[in-house]
Amino acid sequence: MTDNFLIDTFTCVWCGLTVHARAAGGQRRNHCPSCLHSRHVHDHVEGGPSTCGARMSPISIAVLRTGDWTVVHRCVRCDELTSSPVAEDDNRLILMRMAVRPLAQPPFPLEAFGDL
Amino acid sequence: MARRTRADDRGRRAQRPKDVLHGQRSGHREQDFRCVGCRLVVPLAAPGTAHRNHCPTCLASLHVDGRVPGDRAAACRGRMAPLSVSVRPDGEWLLVHECLSCGELSANRIAGDDNALALMRLALRPLRDPGVPGAAHAVLLGL
Repeated sequence: MTDNFLIDTFTCVWCGLTVHARAAGGQRRNHCPSCLHSRHVHDHVEGGPSTCGARMSPISIAVLRTGDWTVVHRCVRCDELTSSPVAEDDNRLILMRMAVRPLAQPPFPLEAFGDL
Repeated sequence: MARRTRADDRGRRAQRPKDVLHGQRSGHREQDFRCVGCRLVVPLAAPGTAHRNHCPTCLASLHVDGRVPGDRAAACRGRMAPLSVSVRPDGEWLLVHECLSCGELSANRIAGDDNALALMRLALRPLRDPGVPGAAHAVLLGL
């Protein structure tokens, strides 16, 4: 893991960016700050490491009770879902685009809410 | 509440075949279930989906399935609260649930009779509570 002299990095499986494994606050990253894609390395149903290893794409933004944002990822191969907290230097444009995505494609007419 | 149908449904994944047939259950809960959140009796038949797993009124669900929807493999039985709304590339909304007992996540397409106000509140939650520092909003508004 982290050595005092070696910089701990990983390469994003989607955009190829080489990323420092720790965010500015010191917590460990689990997704690329540029494209927000992740990798399926942890098995959340049974626990422990996962044998999948496929790319995980961000599908939505969730808000915790504390008001912090988390990104929900879905594995493109086995459809498993995970959530991970947003780091300080994550791409704001992609975060905001995902947050407003449901409102851009509503399944019902939003005009009805004006009368409520 | 009509579900919007789109002309470009070509790239859409086919609906998963249903291997648990709820209608063939025996006993007095053959055609319905009682919601763990609001105790409403909900019929299993839903407009727009064959895989109803949450209450149309309060959107709460129950953690009974494991990896495959309908397998009833989870021993947890905890309450699952709606966490967020996701959108498929074809515009279908998905409801992401989080188990309050074990933290497991699951996604399910919304049904035609789901509470629109509850869904809207959920979709607006990221914009109402700016978890990213407020400066980010200002930056994005300037784009």
